[in-house]
Amino acid sequence: MLEVKKVNLAYGQMQVLKEVSLRVHGGEIVSLIGANSAGKSSMLNAISGLVPLAGGEILFEGNPIHSLPSHEIIELGIIQVPEGRRIFPYMSVRENLLMGSYSRRARPKSSEALQRVFELFPRLAERSTQLGESMSGGEQQMLAIGRGLMAGPKILMLDEPSLGLAPIVVEMIFKVLQEVNRQGVTILLVEQNVKESLDISIRGYVLENGRVSLEGAAKDLLENSYLKKAYLGL
Amino acid sequence: MWIIVGQSLISGLLMGGIYALVSIGLTLIFGVMNVVNFAHGEFLMLAMYLTFWVFHYFQIDPYVSLLIVAPALFLIGAVTQKYLIQHLIRAEHYTQIFATVGLSTIMANAALFFWKADYRMVKTSYVSSTLTFNDLVVSYPRLISFLVAIGITVLLFLFLKHTYLGRAIRATSQDITGAKLMGVNINRVYIFTFGLGSACVGVAGALLMPIYYAFPTVGLHFVLTAFVVVVLGGMGNITGALFGGLLIGVVEAFSGFFISPELKEAVYFVIFVLVLLVKPSGLFGLTKG
Amino acid sequence: MRFLKGNYFLGFLILLALLVAVVQNAFALHLLIMVFTSIALGQAWNIIGGYGGQLSFGHAAFYGIGAYTSTLLFVHLGVTPWLGMIAGGILAVAASLVLGMPCFRLRGTYFTLATIAFAEVLRILVVYFKGFTGGSIGIVLKFNAGFLNLMFRDREPFAYIALGFMILTYYLSVWIENSRLGYYLTALKENEDGARALGINTYRCKLIALMISAFLTALIGSFFAQYLTFIEPESEFSLGLSIAMTLPVMIGGIGTALGPVIGAFIITPLQELLRIYISGEYQGLQHIIYGIVLVVVVICIPQGVYRWVTESIFKKRTA
Repeated sequence: MLEVKKVNLAYGQMQVLKEVSLRVHGGEIVSLIGANSAGKSSMLNAISGLVPLAGGEILFEGNPIHSLPSHEIIELGIIQVPEGRRIFPYMSVRENLLMGSYSRRARPKSSEALQRVFELFPRLAERSTQLGESMSGGEQQMLAIGRGLMAGPKILMLDEPSLGLAPIVVEMIFKVLQEVNRQGVTILLVEQNVKESLDISIRGYVLENGRVSLEGAAKDLLENSYLKKAYLGL
Repeated sequence: MWIIVGQSLISGLLMGGIYALVSIGLTLIFGVMNVVNFAHGEFLMLAMYLTFWVFHYFQIDPYVSLLIVAPALFLIGAVTQKYLIQHLIRAEHYTQIFATVGLSTIMANAALFFWKADYRMVKTSYVSSTLTFNDLVVSYPRLISFLVAIGITVLLFLFLKHTYLGRAIRATSQDITGAKLMGVNINRVYIFTFGLGSACVGVAGALLMPIYYAFPTVGLHFVLTAFVVVVLGGMGNITGALFGGLLIGVVEAFSGFFISPELKEAVYFVIFVLVLLVKPSGLFGLTKG
Repeated sequence: MRFLKGNYFLGFLILLALLVAVVQNAFALHLLIMVFTSIALGQAWNIIGGYGGQLSFGHAAFYGIGAYTSTLLFVHLGVTPWLGMIAGGILAVAASLVLGMPCFRLRGTYFTLATIAFAEVLRILVVYFKGFTGGSIGIVLKFNAGFLNLMFRDREPFAYIALGFMILTYYLSVWIENSRLGYYLTALKENEDGARALGINTYRCKLIALMISAFLTALIGSFFAQYLTFIEPESEFSLGLSIAMTLPVMIGGIGTALGPVIGAFIITPLQELLRIYISGEYQGLQHIIYGIVLVVVVICIPQGVYRWVTESIFKKRTA
């Protein structure tokens, strides 16, 4: 479904992604793991059309998308739940969610999508008129994911959803992601939290200093000795 | 004595409604695009002249020609945004300021050149009509202008709160990356916002003609007032601009009466400076509601 | 970048002095006077606007304060303008503090707005207190030739004095550019928060720069009052004047000492010719042209002619 081919990305003089290739097939949950500033967010931003590539291609369902403007990429159903959530602080929960269904594709199905999000996250339904900035970290993450779902994504890309959240909240969120995947949404999960994300994934890639250093089935990666030492502290 | 105070209050509030409208246009543009448009006053001037010429040649009442002037200003704003302002958004701050100051000079002096310095007024049949409540006299056109201004403001609020595009505009002002990720076409939002801000000013211009007069540098007075209001209300805060406008209208009326009509602007400046000293984020803070 | 500095520039100045000595034509001398004073005004503005990055479109306020102070002292108390201009300068400095102290705590745009409002308000005040200032009619200075009166029958002495101001402001700019104040200003212009983090008192630097700028601008205002022997609020405090002051700087190169020099030689003769042949009959046209020039320059060569030329030469050499 999504194919990233030998992509190069630079911010000024600094090369952030070097010949990175990865693939996500329909229906999968794939993890992209790495430490801080390994280039993970940049990868997602490149796919979302927020930053231009210095080289390489990104294909979605066979068609090149790397030169498209960000709003067209959203229309294709490639939705990102960004790092730090980026919810709209002075808009209510409901308004934030409605922004999620802004695209032409998602707008007609907006009310049903809203229902479904409220079912998945009953807390959001309770707080539907509350302002974004007044919510806790966990609630904001739920809101951000809910907002992503409002767009009716074909593929949902999440940038470090577990960041700064209590383990019990993280557990809940990952359960929701599995449920969403079961309902047919492909997921590309970018994380520093290696164990939790690989646990729910089929395959994974490890990004180090802008390069893919390891890839393979999630189960195998979890057994990999280098990974265990470097990322799991074992 | 109280009658005079009441009179000033009413007269100030009525004018304040128009100040609010002008300021809302300015603060909307600033909140969304982070661009200070020094030519904002000249857009108002243009709207006033347009209203005047439409009345002069077609005898269309300003409150009706509003329906022509507002869209006209929307278009002018949109075009200005697309071909000038857009190039300034990523530019150095001083480039933005110089370019819009330059634009303002061009527009004001073009008006002077083409239309001369004479004061232009629209003399409708009701221009001196008044209504009387108890002992308070209210100028009829001022009242109408005020009501329309408030009406338009309410419409604007509703638009921003309940439509997809309105929400997109607010989202862009709150988190531009977030908005992009929702599929918002930022360039289009910018064009629309600038057009919308200009249309607000267009309405204000039409509303001013029955109660004021047009001349090439009329923009300067209003833009300075608008900036004071915007600072008072908090840059980017539309509700703040509404209340700030009303407040300034009242302050102007009172200072005109109790101090001197010629020193009104000096009073603003003192207020401007005081507000900056005491609460730089404005009386109403910075929420971009 | 070294080509006009140091000795070359000194040579250039001597050339200008000789030019003044040789030229007899009154209009040509007038042009030279306008160019020299444009440079001086530009240099003054540049200190806060170019080096400090705080754009003022209200410098006419300081110009007007200089003009009115020295004129009122001259006309009512017979004080020599040479002292009157110093008094004007001091008043301008005080005014600049009233302006800068509240506004410099905040973002640059607030300051710019405030400068416009400030000049406007001063204009209004001058018109209002007409008993004292002559109101909108203005004040005519009775002609009485003499060095102490800073009035002369010929234009030559005026030209030398103007050249003097130009030299003063140029070298002052160069000195500031290379002084600690200059380094601090450059730092805060680039990144004010960063500069503050380094321990620079950005607030104070901006104030000092503004005070110097205001003082110099007021001096020129006084000079012009004596040269034109007529002042009025419309001319002395107008927004058009404030904007026109910045043109040579923008065209020549904002933030450099040489910029206003180059810019003034380019634009001031044009401004004068426009003023003489166009204004009156075609009121407003010259300001339209200034506005267009400003917009075009700021979009196409925002760095100014000086840097544009030196950068192209540099590129050709290293290409």
